[in-house]
Amino acid sequence: MNTPLLDVRGLSIRIAGTPRDLVEDVSFTLSAGETLCVVGESGCGKSLTALALMGLLASPPLKVTGGTATLDGQDLLTLPRDQLQSLRGRRMAMIFQEPMTSLNPALRIGDQIAETVQRHQGVSAKEARARALEMLKRVRIPAPESRLDAYPHNLSGGMRQRVMIAMGLANDPALLLADEPTTALDVTIQAQILDLMRSLQSESGSAMILITHDLGVVAEMADKVAVMYAGRIVEMGPAAQIFEDPQHPYTIGLMSSMPALGERTERLVTIPGVVPQANHMPAGCRFAERCPFADATCMKTPPMQDVSTNHHVACWHAPLEAQTEVRASA
Amino acid sequence: MLSFIGHRLLVAIPTILLISVLVFFLQKLLPGDPVLALAGEDRNPEILEYLREKYRLNDPLYLQYFHWIGNALRGDLGISLRTQQPVLTLLAQKLPVTLQLATMALIIAVVIGIPAGILSAYHKGTWIDWLANVVALSGLSVPNFWLGIMMILLVSVKLGWLPASGYQPFSEDPLQSIRTMLMPAFVLGTGLAATLMRHTRSAMLGVLQSDYVRTARAKGLSEKVVVIRHALRNALVPVVTVITLLFGELLAGAVLTEQIFTIPGFGKLVVDAVFNRDYAVVQGIVLCTAIAFVLMNILSDALYRVLNPKMSDR
Repeated sequence: MNTPLLDVRGLSIRIAGTPRDLVEDVSFTLSAGETLCVVGESGCGKSLTALALMGLLASPPLKVTGGTATLDGQDLLTLPRDQLQSLRGRRMAMIFQEPMTSLNPALRIGDQIAETVQRHQGVSAKEARARALEMLKRVRIPAPESRLDAYPHNLSGGMRQRVMIAMGLANDPALLLADEPTTALDVTIQAQILDLMRSLQSESGSAMILITHDLGVVAEMADKVAVMYAGRIVEMGPAAQIFEDPQHPYTIGLMSSMPALGERTERLVTIPGVVPQANHMPAGCRFAERCPFADATCMKTPPMQDVSTNHHVACWHAPLEAQTEVRASA
Repeated sequence: MLSFIGHRLLVAIPTILLISVLVFFLQKLLPGDPVLALAGEDRNPEILEYLREKYRLNDPLYLQYFHWIGNALRGDLGISLRTQQPVLTLLAQKLPVTLQLATMALIIAVVIGIPAGILSAYHKGTWIDWLANVVALSGLSVPNFWLGIMMILLVSVKLGWLPASGYQPFSEDPLQSIRTMLMPAFVLGTGLAATLMRHTRSAMLGVLQSDYVRTARAKGLSEKVVVIRHALRNALVPVVTVITLLFGELLAGAVLTEQIFTIPGFGKLVVDAVFNRDYAVVQGIVLCTAIAFVLMNILSDALYRVLNPKMSDR
């Protein structure tokens, strides 16, 4: 097997001065061209994980307390600042959730894209501008020539997210991190943006980490899925397997809380209880409080176990057999 | 933009007229008789009456006002009771002095205040932030007259680096002119620098937390580019408003500082005029600085539009 493009091992993040990690022991690998969807409720540590990889954690108070994250053979978590800066925007790029506030309101669109090209490719201002125009065309912004000199407030949310994507891909990064890129957009626009991201990704062959809480997006985009709960990855595997054969009680709960088209039967299934607060993380399995299968063994932290070669789950009770019963009782 | 400025200038006219009414009538409420001040020891009633007639002080107040504002509109602000010079000439003499002092003080304030604000916001909670705040607080709390006197003692008397007082017109000897103005400008500027530093700091603190600064970092830009190009540009919008308003304030004359350094600007002129009940001069100065203030307000709004592309479309 080839060495993966990105290899994250045991990544842990905490707020300085608090006893427990917000993100604990997160590990995954990603190969070129692959899409990993990280799924979970808000506050489960999805965004923190991505920000840590980019070296953009708000530090202080947040800090990485352990682990490695290797991209191109370099550990992103210990890289000196100037080397990290030269990777950011060139080998890895990030698209954020809020297109309305993620572009600088005082700078023209074209300049904001050209800036990252000039920074990393060392080309002239004219060449950088030409590249910016090319990128605006690639993300299918209408009348791209005139948009170069537009300000962010002249554009709609969907157009701004296209600009963000153009900016992220301007230097053909090997890794694209997208943090809920469609959450703030209208549903029709969401589909367009996802289509665009997928086609651009297949053109460029870059790997993508797509953070979302929307299982519809996951079904659409993912090769691999990592399900996060309260700072830990609880289940990981190929998208098809996660959807067809979810093993962790939390994943099962997520799947059954997704409405499906068809005959309306019962009320939507919800997972009882709430996500634990960052400062009250339970010891042992963090899902135990809400889990219908929880027993005394769950007071210890469950290790990742293999369900099959690529499918892993962190649950003492896996593999679960009678899933239909679980769905009914959940 | 031009139509915006034109519109604002039109709207400013009633404001200025209202100010002129206030200036004129408030002054008439002041105790003391200008004619007595003018006549000095000689209290001969006939002379007093003659002077009253001459300066139309026997007319009803509203007639006096219309007479004054009518003349003012034609550029005639009256004659100084004291020096018998036209008020406009006096103002024209003092304006370059005050303008130079205000400009130099503002440059010093900007050069100190804005970088200090950036540094303390960027290094929030560290000793740099603490130091900048302590210096700013002392800049605000130390009275100008005390700092002025101390500086004269140290820089002029002890070290002999700069002249202690006096004024040299800029047009005659620019270098000497700057040298004489340096200390008073510094005294004024440090106080304003503290204000600017506080404003810059709070604006920068907000902007540095913003999503677009995070985006700039995600692009791999250096911290210098992130702070100057992406953060400062946006943080300056409110700070520029403060700068223009401070300039308006400076144009009103720095009374104490001008007294200490014996600089013949508006501040000194207005003090002399008040003590001598030289109504025409006081009215002229107040009207003039009020107009300067209104103009600075318009300039501030215009700059706000230039810096904030969102506004300039409208």
